[in-house]
Amino acid sequence: MEFSSKIVSDAVEALSGFPGIGRRTALRLVMYLLNRPEMEVAKLAESLIKLKTDLHLCTFCGNVSDARVCDICNNSSRSNGILCVVEDFSDLMAIESTRQFSGRYHVLGGLISPMDGVGPDDLSISSLVQRVENESITEVVMALSATIEGDTTLFYIGKKLKSLPVKMSCIARGISVGGEIEYADEVTLGRSILQRTEYNL
Amino acid sequence: MHISKLQLFNFKNHESLNLELIPGVNILTGNNGVGKTNCLDAVHCLSNGKSYFTSLDSQLIKHGQDFFTIKAAVGNAIDTQDTTEILLQFDKGKKTIKKNGKNYPRLSDHIGFIQTVMITPYDIELVLGNSDERRRFMDLLISQLNTEYLHHLMVYRKAVEQRNSLLKAWSGRNMDDDLLESFDQKLIPSATLIHQIRYSITQEIIPIFKRIYAALASTDELVEINYSSPLHENAMQDLLKLNRSNDLFAERTTAGPHKDDWVFELQGNPLRKFGSQGQIKSFVIALKIAQYRFFQEKLGKTPILLLDDIFEKIDESRAQRLMELVESEGFGQILITDTHPERVEKHLSQLNGEHNHRSVG
Ligand SMILES: Nc1ncnc2c1ncn2[C@@H]1O[C@H](COP(=O)(O)OP(=O)(O)OP(=O)(O)O)[C@@H](O)[C@H]1O
Ligand SMILES: [Mg+2]
Ligand SMILES: [Zn+2]
Repeated sequence: MEFSSKIVSDAVEALSGFPGIGRRTALRLVMYLLNRPEMEVAKLAESLIKLKTDLHLCTFCGNVSDARVCDICNNSSRSNGILCVVEDFSDLMAIESTRQFSGRYHVLGGLISPMDGVGPDDLSISSLVQRVENESITEVVMALSATIEGDTTLFYIGKKLKSLPVKMSCIARGISVGGEIEYADEVTLGRSILQRTEYNL
Repeated sequence: MHISKLQLFNFKNHESLNLELIPGVNILTGNNGVGKTNCLDAVHCLSNGKSYFTSLDSQLIKHGQDFFTIKAAVGNAIDTQDTTEILLQFDKGKKTIKKNGKNYPRLSDHIGFIQTVMITPYDIELVLGNSDERRRFMDLLISQLNTEYLHHLMVYRKAVEQRNSLLKAWSGRNMDDDLLESFDQKLIPSATLIHQIRYSITQEIIPIFKRIYAALASTDELVEINYSSPLHENAMQDLLKLNRSNDLFAERTTAGPHKDDWVFELQGNPLRKFGSQGQIKSFVIALKIAQYRFFQEKLGKTPILLLDDIFEKIDESRAQRLMELVESEGFGQILITDTHPERVEKHLSQLNGEHNHRSVG
């Protein structure tokens, strides 16, 4: 694609770096923006800049926040003693929207994956250990993906917390709610049988 | 299950080809390069969703064209009225498979509908090639019977890959033991299971293999398959401990099921060194027919047998016994290619069953 304007070409170039957006789609977005009022485009630009200038990571849990401490950590009605460890803030949001968890969070910022150059020091693991030591935490709930990286990170954190007087649990994995056994994959089904729970009337 | 009609469009050298096939033995003859092997590969594609020879689907399109299709009418042995139409199409970089005109949601849902076992001259690599070839053969064989095995194979491979990256990343520094252990504990259960399943399947397949080799060779040639793995002596956990300093030095995981091998022997000697070309070929044929029998026993399905240039290198009496074997009860549809029409005819004329001779090209 050859453009008569360097300005258009720069904008297309920048947008086509987004995940899932190719040059053709980028050009369509540029055309769209050209047809919008200047105010609206300025607002968009401002909101994008703010992502970098005004957004904080909560000093306690690492969640994204407009203030130095996020709303969850600030909320005194949430229980103090229980921490839920998640990979990133989108996982945090997913758990939050279930309304089933009333403790606080700890965002790791990724999972251990040497292939991607991510080691324990790149994640907030030592700050997790510190919190457990200092904030009188009684239970750490590990809510990580059931992948090799998730399991490895789970084990590594387990090692680090082992000597501390804290209970560690991890979220149950098994047949999805409303799922039929017939359609569950064998590995999930096998695991569900091994980790079966007592049924109480 | 058998293919009663095979139609190719722009598939490899075939611009348009129609083949009528019978449920029993089908012979495809023709000179070098007419496209006999390509016909078998088309059936392999219908079965597995990909070619026997390449994983690049674009190479299967006839040069100068931009799509190919493989269409087959699949008949049911019990109810002859009941036919299923399977259409595999590759167009604009996209592969689709339709069953009776309906797309499968996922290509993998089709795999297993038509089972095939293919034997080609390239399969001697199983004997002559390095251990990768034998692991690939066994892993594929077992995965088709056991999906849990496939899962553990994938977990193991990924965990080893991560562990190797870790060993590289920490090169020259003092290893974080907790971190290394995190990967070890992830790969240990999968490694253990892979070894167990490989061991038991190998034990099960050996007697079937030996019986078929004996029937084919009709001599007292002693054949043996030895599954070799350090896991016979050491649990994976101990193996990792034993090799710790090796691993740190080599910056990769040096021992484990990813290094397993199957040693093929003839009269107590390694086949790859001491086998004649015909003996090696006979060994491979017997191994593949054992795989076929194994599927039959385990899955209750009769695969289509695809025999490419099967008479090359084996002597007349072995060829004759092979035909007797494949024509005997229990074998389903068979497709055989050969460059010498008279040779196949001669072998088959002495047998009872009906056969269908087609010339290609
Ligand atoms: N994508 C393609 N387009 C056109 N021709 C192709 C393509 N792929 C393969 N061919 C050609 O198909 C021809 C037939 O191949 P095939 O291996 O099926 O022959 P064959 O009948 O089995 O011969 P032989 O008796 O030597 O084994 C080869 O000459 C090959 O170059
Ligand atoms: Mg050929
Ligand atoms: Zn917070």
